[in-house]
Amino acid sequence: MRTDTQSWPFRSVLVANRGEIAVRILCTVRALGLEGIVVYHAVDAATPAVKLADRAIEIHGDTPVAAYLDGARIIAAALATGAGAIHPGYGFLAENAAFARAVAKAGLIFVGPTPDAIDLMGDKITARAFVARSGFPVAPSAIEDEDPATFVERARDVGAPLLIKPAAGGGGKGMHIVRDLSQLETAIARARSEGQRYFGDGRLYAERYVENPRHIEVQVLGDAHGNVVHLHERECSVQRRFQKIVEEAPSPALSPGLRQTICETAAGIARSAGYRNAGTVEFVYGDGGFYFLEMNTRLQVEHPVTESTTGFDLVREQLRIAAGEALGYAQTEIPSRGHAFEFRIYAEDPARGFTPTTGPVLELCEPVGAGIRIDSGIATGQAITAAFDPMLAKLIVHGRDRAEAIERADRALADYVLLGCKTNIAFLRRLLRHPAFLAGEIHTGFLDMHPQIAAEPQPEAAVMERLLAAAALFTRPMRDAADAVPDLHAAMGAWRN
Amino acid sequence: MHHGFVLDDQEFNVELSRAREGYRLHFEGQVIPLSLRAGDDGGQILTVRGHSEPVRVAVDGDWLHVHLAGSTYTLRYQHPLDRLAAGHQDGAADHIVAPMPGSIVAVLVRAGDAVVRGQSLLVMESMKMETTITAPRDGVVDAVHFDKGQSFDRDTLLLDLVAEPRP
Amino acid sequence: MKRIESRINPASADFRNNAAHYRQVLDAFTEKQHRTRHDRPARDIERLRAQNKMFVRERLDLLLDPGTPFLELSTLAANEAYGGDSPGAGCVTGIGIVSGREVMINAGDASVKGGAWYPLSVKKTVRALDIALENRLPVVHLCDSAGAFLPLQAELFADRYYAGRIFRNQCQLSKLNVPQVAVVLGHCTAGGAYVPALSDYNVIVRGNGAIFLAGPPLVKAATGEDVTVDELGGCDMHTSVSGVADYPAATEEEAIAIARDIVAQFRRPEKSRIEWQEPEDPWYEPVELYGILPADIKIQFDMREVIARMVDGSRFHEYQPGYGKTLVCGYAHLWGYKVGILANNGVLFNDSALKGTHFIELCNQNRTPLVFLQNITGFMVGREYERQGITKDGAKMLMAVSNSAVPKFTVMCNGSFGAGNYGMSGRAFDSRLLFSWPHAQISVMGAEQAANTLAEVKIRQLARSGQTLTAARIAEIRDPVLAEFKRKQSAYWSTSEIWDDGILDPVATRNALGMGLSAALNTPIEDPRYGIFRM
Repeated sequence: MRTDTQSWPFRSVLVANRGEIAVRILCTVRALGLEGIVVYHAVDAATPAVKLADRAIEIHGDTPVAAYLDGARIIAAALATGAGAIHPGYGFLAENAAFARAVAKAGLIFVGPTPDAIDLMGDKITARAFVARSGFPVAPSAIEDEDPATFVERARDVGAPLLIKPAAGGGGKGMHIVRDLSQLETAIARARSEGQRYFGDGRLYAERYVENPRHIEVQVLGDAHGNVVHLHERECSVQRRFQKIVEEAPSPALSPGLRQTICETAAGIARSAGYRNAGTVEFVYGDGGFYFLEMNTRLQVEHPVTESTTGFDLVREQLRIAAGEALGYAQTEIPSRGHAFEFRIYAEDPARGFTPTTGPVLELCEPVGAGIRIDSGIATGQAITAAFDPMLAKLIVHGRDRAEAIERADRALADYVLLGCKTNIAFLRRLLRHPAFLAGEIHTGFLDMHPQIAAEPQPEAAVMERLLAAAALFTRPMRDAADAVPDLHAAMGAWRN
Repeated sequence: MHHGFVLDDQEFNVELSRAREGYRLHFEGQVIPLSLRAGDDGGQILTVRGHSEPVRVAVDGDWLHVHLAGSTYTLRYQHPLDRLAAGHQDGAADHIVAPMPGSIVAVLVRAGDAVVRGQSLLVMESMKMETTITAPRDGVVDAVHFDKGQSFDRDTLLLDLVAEPRP
Repeated sequence: MKRIESRINPASADFRNNAAHYRQVLDAFTEKQHRTRHDRPARDIERLRAQNKMFVRERLDLLLDPGTPFLELSTLAANEAYGGDSPGAGCVTGIGIVSGREVMINAGDASVKGGAWYPLSVKKTVRALDIALENRLPVVHLCDSAGAFLPLQAELFADRYYAGRIFRNQCQLSKLNVPQVAVVLGHCTAGGAYVPALSDYNVIVRGNGAIFLAGPPLVKAATGEDVTVDELGGCDMHTSVSGVADYPAATEEEAIAIARDIVAQFRRPEKSRIEWQEPEDPWYEPVELYGILPADIKIQFDMREVIARMVDGSRFHEYQPGYGKTLVCGYAHLWGYKVGILANNGVLFNDSALKGTHFIELCNQNRTPLVFLQNITGFMVGREYERQGITKDGAKMLMAVSNSAVPKFTVMCNGSFGAGNYGMSGRAFDSRLLFSWPHAQISVMGAEQAANTLAEVKIRQLARSGQTLTAARIAEIRDPVLAEFKRKQSAYWSTSEIWDDGILDPVATRNALGMGLSAALNTPIEDPRYGIFRM
């Protein structure tokens, strides 16, 4: 499909993000013949996004994160550079309705849903109520706002196990599982306090917790003309601290019938909401049933999985929709080919509770090969700091089937060289070689159930030898001392008379 | 004289020597032949006991990052002199004496404080210059003998360190 | 240079008998050497442990570069002396590699009588420092000695080559710009105090290390002063107050590490240039030497077979192959270094002496180090040879050997009797290194001849007084003489007295000479100058 951007209402796009997603968006923007502009904080000056952009505008803030959250300055930068549209990527300002409104007010195009759609779907409680109202399945639940006085009682009625979540939350923060109802009040107090701390909002809701559920989500696209399609599902069950590590499509858990039901449910929800832009409808699947969890009104981190199996460029679709174009294809025209995975490369130490790590990127050599895609936002010489989310890059693999995709991923991870900052690459290799993972027996409690995957095993003796050999050869005092020995004596070795 | 590498808090002692061709690693009583040559892709090919494979190594001070056999490892190098100096139990290094006559400008630690090697302990002034006195090794401050403003002669005992706090 | 064509048949009965015999000789040697190096009474080892001291061999392992050779000298020194009380003469010396530098190591062995110096300890140490001087080898002293063994002080204190020579040699080394580092691991008392003091650098271990002219008891006796070891000459006093010592160390291991780092600062000498080519292993197996050396020392063998198992590629350029055939002369490479070899294939005649003299002069002209492989029963005797002037031809050879300016090396490969020992660069002729093979014999004449000569004198004395002797009585006179002679002409006696620099397994000779050649090139090779050759 050729895209003619000549008639579009914008000729340049400002990317209000950083790292791999900024690179990802800029690639499509520039491939479409549009000008790509990026904003950056000084700590990111050496990153690939800044190098790739046609123009890069430095922004400031009390902290680097604050700079990327400063909507007013970013809009000002867009206006100053003559950008016609702002793409927020994910995170930062991507689901900020006020920002979306401010962008529109400034006469710019927000590459995303309408502010109203963000309002509707961005709040978990309203989204859930809307979905239930529209006749789609939601988990039994109790919403505090509906009647704060009876919240505890109603939560108790839902029954254990129970999940308490901040209404304004996301990313797993402030979530508490209650297996014993006597702990309910304590969990509520803690979730409220954490919600207040993280989101400035202490409102909660409780819902039935499915033990060892699978996380299944469906990619949808809606245009300004009322067309909505789905691009099939992704499974994102392998998580640590409620954050995704591995995503795949199609889900190994779903029968063709169930798969179709879930995907059509997602498209139906988006259609009911009059959704425009790319979006993701997330479900909890377990015990044979599925419930609506939430909808993300933005491009997802794991969107490349869907791009791999469908052949769609989701950023291009976002831009086309933002430019007012109609989708131009029917649901039946959207293929699902082979199997794809995304493995998130994090700067973290799985053996120490997945704590973030920092360090300079001394050497970077990313894998290449059939079915391998790397979305990366780092470059040699850059410093990995604790200022941002520890995700550095994503490995996306595609194969004819799941086994081939895993095999390719294993090889790609083995070839992935990132020296200077500890990453989870070795952990990912242990994960994908685990029999339960190979069998597709995954769920959101997978890593808790198999803690040995996170543990760093000592290298086997033969590897240890080679490792020490390499280290010794690259350690100047050792190499110099060895080289200082005259040829004659080096050749004689440890001879004794 | 063994050199040390620390991997995940475990120390490994090795030595390296040069052979007629290549090198030898001396490790746990074994002598292991090895060699290294440049690969085609900017990396290196390491051969250990006849087994060859690509390896990439980045050195950052005493930290070595090694990519080998599909995994990345980070090791910390310990020079023999550092390793052995760290083993000092009690000695001159524990009794910090004034390098020259002067007076105390600032006392930065108190008795009982745990200090790490290189940490500032005292600031003294002498000959119109300020000198910071730092901990020669990790330890616990046993006693500080001078207060701010007091003056002293060369070789006066200023501060005592001990390996462990007194019970 | 073509390969020597060996005529040895390793499948022959002779070869196998010889090899079996030599294995026994070698087993006895290695067993003796191992005992000398490692066997110590348990209480001595325990005493070292209690003092927090390492055994000297452990110290050497830490000091030497990993995977490098160590040529230990005079391992069996003093083994036939003092009733065996001083194995190895209580010290270890040798050429080794420290921080990539060739160095002489002089290490006290405190496991033997606290490392007390016996007369032969002094001789061994002086010899090590002489070698350091001749070859400009930096010295690492590992000091751990209780001082002179007082009952024998008269034999080690005052003479020219006695203990004072150690310090004199240290000063000479310093003058020649050859650095020394001393590691004080025990008490350096009296004269011993000068070893660290005369070294360019020294390291002292806190606690065990001390340096003083007199220890606390002697100070108390002399002046009445009460003083502790640490106050008198301990690590912290010397490194912060007196400046007698340079580097404090908490442990022996740290002290040795510091010493290694000091040696790493030494400037590496520029080597004298001699002919060199890429080394090559001998084509013939060196272990075949065991089958070549006859079980009976009186049986002649071809020294070319020995050369073939010692030199690079077994290649040899023979000089004057048809003249003076009892002395084989020629060029070869050994560990790449070009050498001129002189090897005995029988008694020295006039022509062999002249050939040897000429060849020594050639090697001096073209700066080729010399290797003497001794198997010599002496110069030929008899009217005809005296009339031909065998003595003046022998004198020419001595003149050439003595004034030769290129480095010389000597190996006692079998017998070394009479003036032939001198002509073939015996101990008195300043070979840089001189080694013996374990079966070698050295004396003014063969044991049988000597015993017979002595017995003959006795018989004639008795005959003059009218007595006739029975065969049994003659044996009674002759046998003790023969036994004593045999003992003192053996390589073990020789090495005990430090007439050589150690006994070598024949197979080890190639490496020992390679290390010696490398060390020798630290010293510039002068132009030769001779005295009068009697014509």
